[in-house]
Amino acid sequence: MTVAVEPQADDLVLSVREVKKHYPIREGALQRVVGHVRAVDGVSFDIRRGETVGLVGESGCGKTTLGRVIAALADPTDGGVHYNMDGMMSRIDRLEGKAARTFRRNCQMVFQDSFASLNPRHLVIDLVGRPLKVYNEAVSADLVERVVELLEQVGLGRQHLYRYPHQFSGGQRQRISIARALALNPEIIVLDEPTSALDVSVQAQILNLLNDLQEERNLAYLFITHDLSVVRHMADRLVVMYLGKVAEAGETQAIFDSPHHPYTRELMSAKPDLEADANVEVRGLEGNVPDPARPPRGCRFHTRCELATPACGWEVDDVVRWLEDAPGMFEHLVGVERKTDFAATLAFDSEEAAGLLSMAVRSEQVPEAMRTAMRRLSLDGDKVEIEFEEVGEIESTVRGDGRVAACVLMPEEVASWKNM
Amino acid sequence: MTDVPHSRVDAEGMTADTAFRVRMRRLFGVLQGLASNPATVIGLVIIALMLAMAIFAPWILEPNSPDPYQMPRDWGAVRKPPGTPGHLLGTTNEGGDVLYGVIWGSRTSLQLSLMVVGSTMIVGTIIGSVAGLVGGWVDEVLMRIVDVFLSIPELIFALAIAAVLGPSFGNIIFALAVVLWVKYARIMRAQVLQIKQNDYVDAARVIGDSRVNIYLRDILPNAVTPVTVQATLDMGNVVLIGATLSFIGLSEAGIAEWGVLVSEGQAGIASGRWWASTFPGLMIFLWALSFNLVGDGLRDALDPRTEGR
Ligand SMILES: Nc1ncnc2c1ncn2[C@@H]1O[C@H](COP(=O)(O)OP(=O)(O)OP(=O)(O)O)[C@@H](O)[C@H]1O
Ligand code: SF4
Ligand SMILES: [Mg+2]
Repeated sequence: MTVAVEPQADDLVLSVREVKKHYPIREGALQRVVGHVRAVDGVSFDIRRGETVGLVGESGCGKTTLGRVIAALADPTDGGVHYNMDGMMSRIDRLEGKAARTFRRNCQMVFQDSFASLNPRHLVIDLVGRPLKVYNEAVSADLVERVVELLEQVGLGRQHLYRYPHQFSGGQRQRISIARALALNPEIIVLDEPTSALDVSVQAQILNLLNDLQEERNLAYLFITHDLSVVRHMADRLVVMYLGKVAEAGETQAIFDSPHHPYTRELMSAKPDLEADANVEVRGLEGNVPDPARPPRGCRFHTRCELATPACGWEVDDVVRWLEDAPGMFEHLVGVERKTDFAATLAFDSEEAAGLLSMAVRSEQVPEAMRTAMRRLSLDGDKVEIEFEEVGEIESTVRGDGRVAACVLMPEEVASWKNM
Repeated sequence: MTDVPHSRVDAEGMTADTAFRVRMRRLFGVLQGLASNPATVIGLVIIALMLAMAIFAPWILEPNSPDPYQMPRDWGAVRKPPGTPGHLLGTTNEGGDVLYGVIWGSRTSLQLSLMVVGSTMIVGTIIGSVAGLVGGWVDEVLMRIVDVFLSIPELIFALAIAAVLGPSFGNIIFALAVVLWVKYARIMRAQVLQIKQNDYVDAARVIGDSRVNIYLRDILPNAVTPVTVQATLDMGNVVLIGATLSFIGLSEAGIAEWGVLVSEGQAGIASGRWWASTFPGLMIFLWALSFNLVGDGLRDALDPRTEGR
């Protein structure tokens, strides 16, 4: 549903289709499942040969989880990742034998923590030569030469063969990881924040290296990062994630030119612009990321969206959240009797407190969109009954030029919002 | 700091390195770490002396025939004090040469240590690894068993088993092995669970290496340190527990074993014949102490926070 332009099959490397990954939350002595963290909750996009897809979003939005599903380190709860094997798209978690090995060789991963991802007891020759040994590609002297070749491609050399990972700098270690990922000549590499632990100058060197390697080998990258300024120069296309879902996807340049989702726009304005005056205050994203075990209804971003409309999925939780932040109100709330996520009766410890709430919720103190979305608000003694318009999940919609966004607003409305 | 792939320091004659030389250097580094700790060095020297004593026992003192592990009996010289010609450390009530017991007893103790520690380490490592790797109900069942074992004090548990099986040195070894494997299972399981989380294990999965290889190349080598330390400490501790069991009569009478000698000699202490139990007692103490000193030293020398990095 998210693919606008149906790509040529032989052009595709991977196709991510409605992938979900939920982690059970267990509690108590019996370890009963009391809920699920919906780390990835229905994500679709494609990766084509030789291109870089940037996967961005705040911490905890499910980037690493999705990367691990794509690299077959974790099985999806639902949906699947399809790999193009000689023109046939096959789900990677159903591959067996030779086909599974073919996929394995062709999809590699580089991790964020360069120290943790290299076995501290292995020498560089063992680390980089290991994939070659696993597939019986080279032995003894030949293996050494192949490893040297790989090291030279990432800017290291023969003199580094017999060293331990701790003898290198962070940037050099990441080069070793990249050399290891290159060893099997893969089609795609999942790069999970490969530079976020590095100094800015080192970061630039590694990014250049990745760019050069991509050109030489026609590699596809899934570049995971929380830093939009990094992907701006790296990625051909972007997938912006929010709480396990795709907020927006499309060509990088087009998204930077005109974001179709308020979240993307906020992310872009939150990024510190290095070219701009360092003293200019940078507006950050406000509010907390909601719990991925109980994502907001309607649009997941509505709790933080400054453009939210009455149709964005206002719910009982929004009132409770508002109460939590309102000084001296939350203590008086004694119970919430939910009928649905959108309708409930709030019980207070006094008629006065109930009255205060029903007044407040009608006033300027709460967002106008929330007030408008409220279908019913009745005060009955120390109880307040509230009911909102029921709104389904705001799904991604395809907008021309291969762009996808999950927002009820028109791009012009997002574009004209505030000074940026 | 910038990332300079070819710094001059890097190129400094390092091309002559081989994997073998680098690994030897690392080993040498650990040995240096051990050597820099005086207590460890003392422990190592004592262990070396006792091992030499065990190995060269037949050349130091003629083996008793037919069974060299039985105390010789010189009925013509009972209860002689130390310094008696031919009986440097004196004799026991039955005319057993205390020096013979001390020297041949080191063989008995070494045998006990090696058999108990060797078997418990192997069994514990396998069971702990299976629990940590397989997880689920297998882990659940194995760990319940371990918990039951750990809830009974070591000495009392071993005593009960040895008592049921009847007094013999072999039964003491068996009882100790039955009791002590759980420690290794527990250490190993915790290690496996922790190491499994490391990105380098995922990195090995991504390149498609087999589970067996990942266990042997990534998990096991990174888990051996605490197991090795525990094994070293246990080399000393089992002799202590074994001697306690022997002391209360769970071993055969008359064998050249330090615990048995202490037990058989203690009755004479009140009458001033201190030597029959003091010398073997001193040996037990030195054996346990020196392995503990080395175990502690190993823990420091192998600590990943100080090793390399
Ligand atoms: N193994 C797991 N078990 C339970 N919950 C998990 C697990 N792994 C991740 N999560 C949860 O899933 C959500 C997404 O985590 P993930 O690591 O994918 O986020 P991320 O976008 O990579 O964040 P970051 O930028 O911090 O790396 C988080 O709420 C996290 O707590
Ligand atoms: S749908 Fe669009 S406007 Fe509504 S809350 Fe979500 S992002 Fe904001
Ligand atoms: Mg992450």
